[in-house]
Amino acid sequence: MLPDACTGSRRTVHFPEHDRSMRLDESINTGLTMLLFREHTGSYRRSDAGESVRKKQVMTDQHTKAWFGRHVEECMNSLYGLAFRLTRNAADAEDLVGDAVVKAWSALATLDDTERFRAWLFRILHNCFVSDYRKKSVRPVEIAFDELASDECEDDVSSFLVGQSDEFLQWWANPEREFANSMLGEKIIEAIDHLPDVFRITVVLVNVEGLSYDEAAEVLGVPPGTVRSRMKRGRTMLQKELWLYGKEAGLIPDKAGLKVTK
Amino acid sequence: MSNETDKHEVEDIDCIEAVNLLYAYMDGEIEDKETKAKYEHHLVHCRSCYSRMELEKALTDRIKAAAETHAPEKLQHKLRKLIDNF
Repeated sequence: MLPDACTGSRRTVHFPEHDRSMRLDESINTGLTMLLFREHTGSYRRSDAGESVRKKQVMTDQHTKAWFGRHVEECMNSLYGLAFRLTRNAADAEDLVGDAVVKAWSALATLDDTERFRAWLFRILHNCFVSDYRKKSVRPVEIAFDELASDECEDDVSSFLVGQSDEFLQWWANPEREFANSMLGEKIIEAIDHLPDVFRITVVLVNVEGLSYDEAAEVLGVPPGTVRSRMKRGRTMLQKELWLYGKEAGLIPDKAGLKVTK
Repeated sequence: MSNETDKHEVEDIDCIEAVNLLYAYMDGEIEDKETKAKYEHHLVHCRSCYSRMELEKALTDRIKAAAETHAPEKLQHKLRKLIDNF
């Protein structure tokens, strides 16, 4: 389970790249790492261990900052992409990323597995969005009650393509038609942006960022079963939207024989 | 001969079950090897389910490619400065 950055319970962080220096520091003062993080959050009290300890604290501080900066940079595109899909606005997305990074730094001691830094940061960004940005996002949140109800339903319709005739499926799957590839990227983005928040973020986390259902569940603070049903629902909505676009753009002829019912 | 052996080794599933496994398979969420083998075995001889899976994959790839975003240079610069000042 990822730690909840907002609750701020503090634990010692293990940095694989700096094993040697961390062990050295900890042999002098086992609470050093804790003190280090308290310093960043403004509650650090000067240690009695003397000058040599303080020098090592500074070194560890630089290591920590360098480690943090490197990992933020590695997932910068993902972080911004997620923020942009959530806010649908470049300026808000940049602010949201900035806020998330500041909160992540002050809550770094809550990261108990450095291998899961990206998912941990996603969770902080998602929490920032829910608590601070949702109210001022470009469009109000519009989740219909029936969508919410089926969000929790495991027996939800699994695919827009279920129940289609063999003729249709074979037509669509024919590589010469290349329906999926003939769709404009901007139309796909439009379809994603039309999804209600809960489905949009789930589809982006799993389909675009490649998170597992368990990881996405931890980011969103919901059970994995809810991620599974949101994925089904989100995909179905996307397929319908893209289908309508394909019809309007003349990419799909009537003879393909789609049944546009659930 | 190997085909005959496969048929006996892997139990078949129907299309409804295959459809229910489709997304879990695509997302790499089927942990049970036997279930995965059953689904793959079904795909070998069911053209509808194979086509359905192929186009779902194509659509997912297209969505992934379309939604991938690059952070603006100025944001990267701002964040570097922000972290430097921590």
